[in-house]
Amino acid sequence: MFPAKIEKYVRPQSIGDALTAIGEFDDGDAMFLAGGQSAMQAIKSRMLRPECVVDLQDIAELKGIDMSGGGLRIGAMTRYVEIANEGSFAGGPFAALADAAARVGDRQVRNRGTIGGSVCWNYMASCLPAVVLGTNGSMNLTSAGGKTRTVTADDFFLGPLETAREDNEILTSVSWDAPAARSGSAYKKWGLVTDALPVVGVCVSVTVDDGGSVASATVSISGLADGGQRSPAAENALTGTDGSAGAIAAAMDAAAEAAETHTDLSANAEYRSHLIRSLGAEVAETALARARG
Amino acid sequence: MPIINVTINGENYEEDVPERMLLVDFIREQLALTGTHVGCTYEGVCGACTIHLDGESIKSCMLLAVQADGHDITTVEGLRGENLTPLQAAFNANHALQCGFCTPGILMNMTDFLKENPNPTDDEIRHGLVGNLCRCTGYAHIVKAVREAAQTSQS
Repeated sequence: MFPAKIEKYVRPQSIGDALTAIGEFDDGDAMFLAGGQSAMQAIKSRMLRPECVVDLQDIAELKGIDMSGGGLRIGAMTRYVEIANEGSFAGGPFAALADAAARVGDRQVRNRGTIGGSVCWNYMASCLPAVVLGTNGSMNLTSAGGKTRTVTADDFFLGPLETAREDNEILTSVSWDAPAARSGSAYKKWGLVTDALPVVGVCVSVTVDDGGSVASATVSISGLADGGQRSPAAENALTGTDGSAGAIAAAMDAAAEAAETHTDLSANAEYRSHLIRSLGAEVAETALARARG
Repeated sequence: MPIINVTINGENYEEDVPERMLLVDFIREQLALTGTHVGCTYEGVCGACTIHLDGESIKSCMLLAVQADGHDITTVEGLRGENLTPLQAAFNANHALQCGFCTPGILMNMTDFLKENPNPTDDEIRHGLVGNLCRCTGYAHIVKAVREAAQTSQS
């Protein structure tokens, strides 16, 4: 495993300089490198053969977690370790982000891998894309000339290794609107070994009303053949219920029923459906408990 | 070829490196610091190439050498001063290595881990070790050594 020849390596100090650097090459010949914990694997195996690598490690404006303004904004170059250790996420509407980030790969990977890299790579068995979907995040993109656009998670993730980001666009941050009161989220995955890529993972975000019933729910599943997917069936089944164990079980039955599970070496379709039910129930319980405080 | 400036184990190096050279190959082949190992043919799964980049554990096969320009690196050769560190001494005392191939990576990862969590439970130690494979399956002794090193450093 050794990379193909790389003609040029640049390390810009600003988003503008990064866009200038990427613009000097034809689409696809230059690539942004974030934490590199997936991209470097692809470069080493020569699945990717970039002529130019634009390393984003020095761009300060791409880093950090900002909760001023009510909502949440996480810079694209913010690492898993920082998201996992963000104390203000604990037990709240954004807890699923920390649940996921704390269990990505291993310590070494979490010290280097970033949220922006993960969502732009959009590997079929990955955690952060599903969690961004399941918490209703949005991707903020900038292209040459400072042109910006915001793409919701539903529109951003197109399928395994495919997103709405253009080659010459940079993801600057992932952001979330201010959550409603009494909101909570959770994520859990099952993999072949501890903290492995998800064979299946489930993310649930819920808001409960004054009486403790489910006012709204977002459910997503990671590890499906088409990558992370929302589960409208589970969302509809959960919304308006009292969030009891029976209501949760029914919602996760609906999720498993509606999901197109597949068979591969890691698990067969039936087992994946079972995982959706069992992980889903556990995650929904946790999300509800967090929402109720 | 780009020229990079890196500090490794307190020493400054100014070196020419091809853009595509991996950091682990730079450390091993160009600087001849062969304590950092390659266990999994650069797949990023074994952790034997774990080093500290600015004090944090990372796998050096997952970076290009040019990415380390301007950074401070510690390899296993840079761990000890006059004496073995408490972790190294605990590995010795507890037979926490058999063939020793994974040991440099584990020492680097666990040194950083103990700095972050000086009084870990066994579960926390095991979770911290997820990124390092030992194929002699000596994990029980490794966990024991890390626990003992934590206790020694506390007292």
